[in-house]
Amino acid sequence: MQQLNILSELQCDALAEVFNIGAGRAALSISEIVNDEVKLSIPCIEVKKSTEINAEILPLPNERFGTVHQDFSGPFEATAMLVFSEENALEIVRDMMGSQMSLEELVEFEQEAMCELGNIILNACLSAMADMLSISLSSSLPCYTITSCAEVINTITGSTDQDYVLVLNIVFTSVKRQSEGHLILLLSSTSLTNLIKHIDRFLGNI
Amino acid sequence: MSLPNYVLEDVFNAINLGLIIVDAEYNVLFWNDWIFKRTHIKQAEAVSHKLDSVFSEPLSVTFLNAIKNTLEYGLPTVLSNALHRSPLPLYDLSLQTDEKTRIPQAITISPLQSQQGELYCVIQVTDSSTSIKREKMLRSHSEIFKREANTDSLTGIYNRRFFDEHYKIAFHSAIRQQQYLSIFMIDIDFFKDYNDYYGHLKGDETLRAVAQALKSQLFRASDLIARYGGEEFVLILPDLSEEQAEKFAEKLKNSIFNLAIPHVNSSLFNQVTISIGLCAGIPQEEYDILGRADAALYLAKQQGRNRCVMLSLL
Amino acid sequence: MTTIPKKLLIVDDSKVSRMLVRAQIVAVHPEWTILDACSGEESISLVEKDPPDYCIMDINMPGILGTDAAEIILKIHPQIRIVIFSANIQETYQSRANALGTIFVAKPVSEKSIAIILNHFQCNN
Repeated sequence: MQQLNILSELQCDALAEVFNIGAGRAALSISEIVNDEVKLSIPCIEVKKSTEINAEILPLPNERFGTVHQDFSGPFEATAMLVFSEENALEIVRDMMGSQMSLEELVEFEQEAMCELGNIILNACLSAMADMLSISLSSSLPCYTITSCAEVINTITGSTDQDYVLVLNIVFTSVKRQSEGHLILLLSSTSLTNLIKHIDRFLGNI
Repeated sequence: MSLPNYVLEDVFNAINLGLIIVDAEYNVLFWNDWIFKRTHIKQAEAVSHKLDSVFSEPLSVTFLNAIKNTLEYGLPTVLSNALHRSPLPLYDLSLQTDEKTRIPQAITISPLQSQQGELYCVIQVTDSSTSIKREKMLRSHSEIFKREANTDSLTGIYNRRFFDEHYKIAFHSAIRQQQYLSIFMIDIDFFKDYNDYYGHLKGDETLRAVAQALKSQLFRASDLIARYGGEEFVLILPDLSEEQAEKFAEKLKNSIFNLAIPHVNSSLFNQVTISIGLCAGIPQEEYDILGRADAALYLAKQQGRNRCVMLSLL
Repeated sequence: MTTIPKKLLIVDDSKVSRMLVRAQIVAVHPEWTILDACSGEESISLVEKDPPDYCIMDINMPGILGTDAAEIILKIHPQIRIVIFSANIQETYQSRANALGTIFVAKPVSEKSIAIILNHFQCNN
């Protein structure tokens, strides 16, 4: 299958290391907010053609998703999306806010708290990428939307100039629960080529 | 045509938003009227001073770290009101009271680079007290109503109505995917006697405690607990083998036993216990998995309570 | 300065991370013997056969945690100097590392982080 060849094993491992550093930084920031231990792990990374994205990549197709986007640019450009099921998003936010909040209050805060959570995770991953690949990236402000799975998939498959997606599973573990989400980077083929170029340069420097 | 600089400054002072600009060494370069009104520190007193020395109170580590990260990586950072409340010492000084509470704030920190390549940080502060109210009104009708309609008001877990809907979906999905489905029917033992002895308020408290203890045993997004009626709860878990389901029932039973809620009218252990009827298997259209779980619960009661009985689907 | 060549064991499930660490160490100490393992379990059995002087241990790996592996290794070979080297930089992991009698160094692999590690290896008890 061709998608297996987009990244070599070593390139994938290098990217995994970059995102693990990012996840560690994000977990530290989040743990400082919640005053408790949290774990963020990224067990797998896949590069796919955006046309291959379908409901199977994102579990629970009936559910609604909370999505945080940031567009970033630099040596390569991408749209980064952090996707959690709406229910998971709410639970994470509830844990982060700590108090016994009513659902009513919680819904009010969900949007901005999720925006911040997404901003923490995305910035941590981008900064780890900047550090390790010795590049500098800039980014738009995060924005949060609640959408159906179909809409998320349409965003991915419908973006005409971004042919590739980097899909990372994110497992967020707090003392109380474990939630799974996805970090999705939409890349044009030029950007993917440039990203690979930087990974190779990084590997070449070892 | 472009605006002269002094007009721009007026604009910055006119907007209903706090604006602070600092350079890469954290020196304040600009400080608008909005900030002045909420601190009574004039721009002239703030400019050229380090941001953390301008205020009379120390700034939070999170806020300072956010600026540091923005300057170091050139990435914008948001600090939500939900998670930070009031990072900056800003007050509503129009109130003539001695009591000082900080204004709830949401903060956005954006990097800015001059043509000469110098980095700056633009700190925007909004007063969240108004947006909180607005959002509340916008959202309340649709979403909250929907959530409430699905929630059991006493215990906070899903209600019967939501369970019935979810059950239909889960049942058919199990048939389609040829996957195991487990239903756990749970009843609190001698609950009528409990209410009679301790009163209904205490009874409600116990219902809540039991609901929460059972709920805390669930870890997968696919699992669901609902209040089925009175002192009855129902759990639905896909994709567990019979052996795993039985083990899980044991965990549920223990979770309630370990609460050790006294129940002097229980002839069993002098504490609150539950009986569980479990039915697990790969369902087919004509099977009545709920009915089987209910029958299993009846057997668990017959066989002495504080136990789980499992029946197969057939 | 004594320059007896030392033996170092690098434990990390990421091949890239092992390569990076190795490259940084070799740049400073080309004479050292460097072994590597990609899990806690593998590191324990390697140490059994051929105990190193120093060990750099990641935390999150498939199988047992690096901190648990370090504890097991130190029980049998208390003389091995171990550094816990992880991207997981929360307080709890740092204090766990300290409780074991090791030190904690935060990833990423860089000249700076490697310098801290080498300093720990070579300072006197």
